[in-house]
Amino acid sequence: MNINATLLAQAVVMIVFVAICWKYIYPPILSVMKEREKRISDGLEAAKKADDSLEEAKLAFDKELDQAKAEAAEILEKANARASQIVSDASSKAEAEAEKILTSASTTIENEKNKAKEELREQMSEIIIDTTQKILGDEISKEKHEEILKKAAEEL
Amino acid sequence: MASELTTESYISHHLTNLTCGKTPDGWTCDPYKVDQMGFWAFHVDSLFWSIALGALFIFVFRKAISKNSDSNSAPSGMQNFVEMAIEFVEDNVQSLFGSVKNTLIAPLALTVFVWILLMNLMDLVPVDFLPVLAGHIAYAVAGDGVEWIKSPESFYFKVVPTTDPNITLGMAFGIFILTIYYSITVKGLKAFIAELTLHPFGKYLIPVNFVLEMVNFIAKPISLGLRLFGNLYAGEMIFILIALMLFFSSIPIGVLGFGLHLVWALFHILIVALQAFIFMALTIAYLAMAHETEEH
Repeated sequence: MNINATLLAQAVVMIVFVAICWKYIYPPILSVMKEREKRISDGLEAAKKADDSLEEAKLAFDKELDQAKAEAAEILEKANARASQIVSDASSKAEAEAEKILTSASTTIENEKNKAKEELREQMSEIIIDTTQKILGDEISKEKHEEILKKAAEEL
Repeated sequence: MASELTTESYISHHLTNLTCGKTPDGWTCDPYKVDQMGFWAFHVDSLFWSIALGALFIFVFRKAISKNSDSNSAPSGMQNFVEMAIEFVEDNVQSLFGSVKNTLIAPLALTVFVWILLMNLMDLVPVDFLPVLAGHIAYAVAGDGVEWIKSPESFYFKVVPTTDPNITLGMAFGIFILTIYYSITVKGLKAFIAELTLHPFGKYLIPVNFVLEMVNFIAKPISLGLRLFGNLYAGEMIFILIALMLFFSSIPIGVLGFGLHLVWALFHILIVALQAFIFMALTIAYLAMAHETEEH
């Protein structure tokens, strides 16, 4: 074991290497590592945030969907009610119309009937009077004639 | 070659550094003139691997930066490894250093950890591979011109820098200087001196306190360096001894040696990583102590 100037040379060499490492090796690597670490933790945080907001959006979406469904159901119900209303309205209106038509028709028929009866009676009276005149001759006066005619008409 | 190769020469070959230094005749790397070099000699092989592996560390980590210059893309391949290493060091610094803000500690710990890990890993390269290769290359390149390279075997080349006490103590020395620097700048010179002189016996026994605290203070870097050196030196030694089993030229012992090699290499992976970690953890701990202004 012989100690010589190698010791001093090695000490100098060590100082040089340590200085190089201190100035040019360690800080850049460390800074890159720190930066990456920060980037990764930022990324994880952002991912977590995105996850949260996705969850939130999902909840909002579900809520909106439920609301829309309820609204749709309501609208449908209203429409149904309205439709049945329209149908019942229409049917009652039609019924009324039919009634009216029926009434007016029967009135008309009645009128026609009466009119026809009247006519028929008149004609019949005339025929009867004529016939009677012919049978009786001119025995019956005009006034008498009128009176008989009226009576007959009333009777008929 | 086989005739001159003895057990002792094999072991000593593996434990001798390629040493270059100044002799009265001028600069040389002749292994027979190491005694004349004195203190001003350099273990060229240790320093070569130390610098090469340190440069590898810088290169790999630098490349990871140029790749991950934007933090958008997912990290991949080497970058993952680099970031794992940095995270590991950050965790250790956090737990040992607490809230004290000092931007040097983490890079220092990272450098020390990765660098020592790489140097220790050289221990797992088969013991003879690189020295023999280096010997042959040196002999082929400079065998004619340089008189001390007489054969590939006369070229010493030790590949594990952390089995050289100069390397481990050199690093511990660097950390020692840093602890002194931070002790003085953070606590102030007065508090630092007080810490060394006023404990544990109060102000009336300052010389005794100083001697005791000084031993404590000096022991830290020395133990730091020697612990790493001792562990790796012992590991290397066991690899060499297992490799020696092949000298018996008997097949059963050779097979046993192969098996032992495998077992020891697997176990040594643990030591390699553990010692690098311990050196790093103690580096952080010593520097943390330098920042603390606690009372004993």
